[in-house]
Amino acid sequence: MHGGACMNELLESLQFIYGPQIANGLAIGMAVVLMALGLTIIFGLLDVINMSHGEFYALGAYLAVTLAGQGVNFWFCLVLVPLLMAAIGYFTERTLIQRVFHSKDRHILTLLLTFGLAIITEDLFKLGYGPNPYKPESPIPGASELFGIMLPNYRVFLIVAGSCIIVAVWMLVYRTRLGAMVRAAAWDKHMAASLGVPVERVYAGTFAFGVALAGLSGVLLAPIYSVFPTMGKDFILMAFTVVIVGGMGSIKGAVIAGLLLTQVQSISSLFISPVWSEPLVFGIMVLFLIVRPQGLAGRLGHG
Amino acid sequence: MGDSVRLAVAASERAERISRAVLAALFVLFALTFAAVALVRGDTFFFRLATEALILGGVAMAVDVLLGYAGLLTLGHALFFGLGAYVSALVLKETPSFWLAMGATLCVATLVGLLAGVVFIRARGVYFALITFGLAQVVFKAVYNTRELGGSDGIIGVPQIDIPLGLLTVSASSPGSFFLLTLIFVMLLYCFLAWWMRTPLGRLLVAVRVNESRVPFLGFAPWRVKLAAFVMAAIVAALCGALYPMLRGLVSPELLTFQTSGNAVIMVILGGVGTLIGPLYGAALLTGLKSVIGTWTEHHLMIIGALFMLSVIFLPKGFAGAVLPRLRRYFAGEASNASLTKKDAGH
Repeated sequence: MHGGACMNELLESLQFIYGPQIANGLAIGMAVVLMALGLTIIFGLLDVINMSHGEFYALGAYLAVTLAGQGVNFWFCLVLVPLLMAAIGYFTERTLIQRVFHSKDRHILTLLLTFGLAIITEDLFKLGYGPNPYKPESPIPGASELFGIMLPNYRVFLIVAGSCIIVAVWMLVYRTRLGAMVRAAAWDKHMAASLGVPVERVYAGTFAFGVALAGLSGVLLAPIYSVFPTMGKDFILMAFTVVIVGGMGSIKGAVIAGLLLTQVQSISSLFISPVWSEPLVFGIMVLFLIVRPQGLAGRLGHG
Repeated sequence: MGDSVRLAVAASERAERISRAVLAALFVLFALTFAAVALVRGDTFFFRLATEALILGGVAMAVDVLLGYAGLLTLGHALFFGLGAYVSALVLKETPSFWLAMGATLCVATLVGLLAGVVFIRARGVYFALITFGLAQVVFKAVYNTRELGGSDGIIGVPQIDIPLGLLTVSASSPGSFFLLTLIFVMLLYCFLAWWMRTPLGRLLVAVRVNESRVPFLGFAPWRVKLAAFVMAAIVAALCGALYPMLRGLVSPELLTFQTSGNAVIMVILGGVGTLIGPLYGAALLTGLKSVIGTWTEHHLMIIGALFMLSVIFLPKGFAGAVLPRLRRYFAGEASNASLTKKDAGH
């Protein structure tokens, strides 16, 4: 009898406390993974730490808000914004990154350059949209019950759509000719070039792809969080943490680390004050950098 | 042939030293001119702002020790600046003594610098940048959420102190004298660091940046050299931070944000990386720009960001990096009678 009560209590806490928390963490985890995928692919191929990735994410959200203001349907935005972002990413790589790409201090110079770009873009958001947050309406209102857990419909959609996109990215990189070119260029760019891979265009295309992913997560997360100028900065830390813990340049690592770390964050906030769950996650990142700097998995194209 | 090479190296190093000294002297002259103008006009606001620029310039100088000499980009030096500011503020609230505050800061910064350094210098390249960035963010969040340290308000009401300097006493409440004190302090730090870089340890540091894997073949352990640089950079930034509560009478967790770290990096790049004096020019330039542009638009970050990007692309060595070679050529030209031709120095 006593055991039954205990069991019941456990089930109830699973249903009403842990379940929703895990599911919400999963929804946010999907968006974090999408953003981290962009970062990690750009690093894996170009060896560039994109400090403006958070601002590209914010730009995606702002574009969605702007288009929605023009009466464009959310679902259409979901396709249009990543396309626009890809064009912006391609342009950025060609006009900015390429300028310092071949210098000796490429790591530091590209990091500084994208850092400068982040400063400008954030200020542009403030100029164009003001400091106040926008809160787009949820495209799928309401909530439904899944396995006895009440979940907002939009979060369910986010989990499903996120999983599909992650699988698609993986397929693209590991199962297509285009992906093989990208991996070849990451492995040995001179050899790839001599085999006829247009390395320069692959570089720009990959950067564009990463930026489009950041923009896509911006569109997807906008209805959950608000859209405000410094939203990228708040998010980039988490994305960097995921990339470092997962292993820079690793797609598999980014997915595992992204889902794990967002779970750590959302479950730990049940036990300790939420303000401390962020330092906890960064603590894990610092620990990883000390103990296992290569992260959970290896680099893109490197096994 | 050996002699002529040695002579040539000595001559070029002398020219380099003189050019740097000239740039440093020009900076002091510039600061003193500013002080004279501000004093005549009885201005307080700009005095305080310029003192803050000097303090932040000191932090940038510390970043330059790591970036310009050890080749390590730190994105979290606000950590040590804030550490110094908080330690100093806490000490001053208990006992308003300048020397006690500076001493305590020195001790704490050395300890924390050693502890963090032992861990951090194992990370290379971008990993070093990200780990410093991460830890600084963790500490910022921790301080922001710690009520004992004033939480989001920080520590306010730090008393204004009198600073006994042997024969005379400087009051921190007088903007002019505190500016001069800060100028002397920062220039002393500069002289010390410039001297340090000429010692064998400083030269090893450059060797580590240029080719780390060859340094062990010369019989030295790179990690020791890097650790020394890291601790030194921590101490310099913390000591500059210790001056902050004396200037403003408060410290806030904002000092620990990425903005402080990022600004220090911008100052180093604009002013000239690897020159030590460049970051001070960078600090003056950045603070000046902010207050000038700030009078007609609040979106000064856009212009500073654009300037920064242009500098990274077209002038990666910064202001001092562009001026120094000219000065060096000038002074080397003066001393060119030191019997040197390309043929003598030939391989």
